[in-house]
Amino acid sequence: MLDMAEEKDLQSTVKPKVTLRDVHVHYGDVHAVNGIDLDLYSDKVTALIGPSGCGKSTLLRCLNRMNDTIPDCRVDGEILLDGKNIYDAKIDVVQLRARVGMVFQKPNPFPKSIYDNVAYGPRIHGIAADRTSLDEIVESSLEKAGLWQEVKDRLDDSGIALSGGQQQRLCIARAIAVSPEVILMDEPCSALDPIATAKVEALIDELSGRYAIVIVTHSMQQAARVSQKTVFFHLGEMIEQGDTTQIFTAPREERTRDYITGRFG
Amino acid sequence: MNQHILSTYDDELKEVRSVVVRMGSLAAEQLADSMRALRELDTELAELTRVADKKLDALEVIAENTVVGVFARRAPVADDLREVVSALKMTTMIERIGDYAKNIARRTLEIADGKGVILMPQLLEQMSAEAHEMIQDVMDAYVKRSADDAVAVWERDDHLDNLYDSTYRQILARMMENPDQIAVWSHYLMIAKNLERIGDQATNVAEQVFYTINGEFLEDARQRRNAGD
Repeated sequence: MLDMAEEKDLQSTVKPKVTLRDVHVHYGDVHAVNGIDLDLYSDKVTALIGPSGCGKSTLLRCLNRMNDTIPDCRVDGEILLDGKNIYDAKIDVVQLRARVGMVFQKPNPFPKSIYDNVAYGPRIHGIAADRTSLDEIVESSLEKAGLWQEVKDRLDDSGIALSGGQQQRLCIARAIAVSPEVILMDEPCSALDPIATAKVEALIDELSGRYAIVIVTHSMQQAARVSQKTVFFHLGEMIEQGDTTQIFTAPREERTRDYITGRFG
Repeated sequence: MNQHILSTYDDELKEVRSVVVRMGSLAAEQLADSMRALRELDTELAELTRVADKKLDALEVIAENTVVGVFARRAPVADDLREVVSALKMTTMIERIGDYAKNIARRTLEIADGKGVILMPQLLEQMSAEAHEMIQDVMDAYVKRSADDAVAVWERDDHLDNLYDSTYRQILARMMENPDQIAVWSHYLMIAKNLERIGDQATNVAEQVFYTINGEFLEDARQRRNAGD
């Protein structure tokens, strides 16, 4: 097992997909994220861990400018996607969010049919030329999300009629449908039971070669199971980042150790 | 190191450590007893030592059950993970030390039973003193959480190996001089081998202590240091 991480390391493309340089986030006077330098790779799952309020979700939401809608929020520093600053004035945010998809803590399918949930993105981005190609995108997205077999005979049923785990996989299918390059996941399994969690984790594994996946999780075991790289945050600062196996067997920083082992820190 | 928020977790890890320490002192004691029995050809003590090995086996089972419990319920990581993995390996190593002591006791019975009793060679005394000290020191390093002390034990194994080589040559010479005593001398030779193996196990324990503390394998650390990193 040890060597899955190492193998991924060897395969790692030299160029990072996303690069963060000295990123700071303020909510009004609150300095929520303090000077983060981090590289995210296409062939790696990166887990962001840390106690509540450490800034990990805030940072995740910067990666597709989800914080834009929060009035007091200010992002400084550089976040580069394929070398281009995503906070540049010329960037089309809608386009950016198609390239950098997001899956939330609570499954949030639209109150539409399963089909329309997945077809929504391709329609608004004009990705499908006709109904046939839209059908293909819906099928392949549901297939990649591991949901096709379960829903293929009831694509017209409402998305919100599915079980929690299926809804979450539907949301992942919806994110995949617009061919993103990066997928952000904010505690995607916290509302799911162990079986549904295992299915989502298997899916993350499955997708990990094709997309740069960044997952925020409060479950240490989940971070250990799904990621190849782990980053630990505390009070807005990045304390340690490293190969997941190393972080979970021999973390270098005492604060990382105290947090992952459940000690008073 | 800070305490766990769940204090029962600390209690379980303490229990694991305490079983390891009890096993270590028991193994050292068994070695000392088996050597005293050999030195004095005390068959009663040899028999007691042989039987005492069961206590060590029982403790190993307790350690194993406790560690498996920690794995199942705590999903240990980082220092905790290294602690329990090492405990599991160390108890096996210490149990082996007990087996070697038992073997010495068994051979003592054979030697005492044979014709033309020959007293043990002086070199065996030196070997057992060295092996005994290695066990004690490595257990002290474990209790004190001293990686340096563990390394010091590790480095001493060469000395014991050299003593073994001398003992081996000496016993071989005795065998050639007195072919009629070969049976007794082979027992002494095997005892020398047992003592040498005890040193190896103490060295293995030292490596494990080092790993528990530093999260790095001793060999890797030495190679890195030698490479001037």
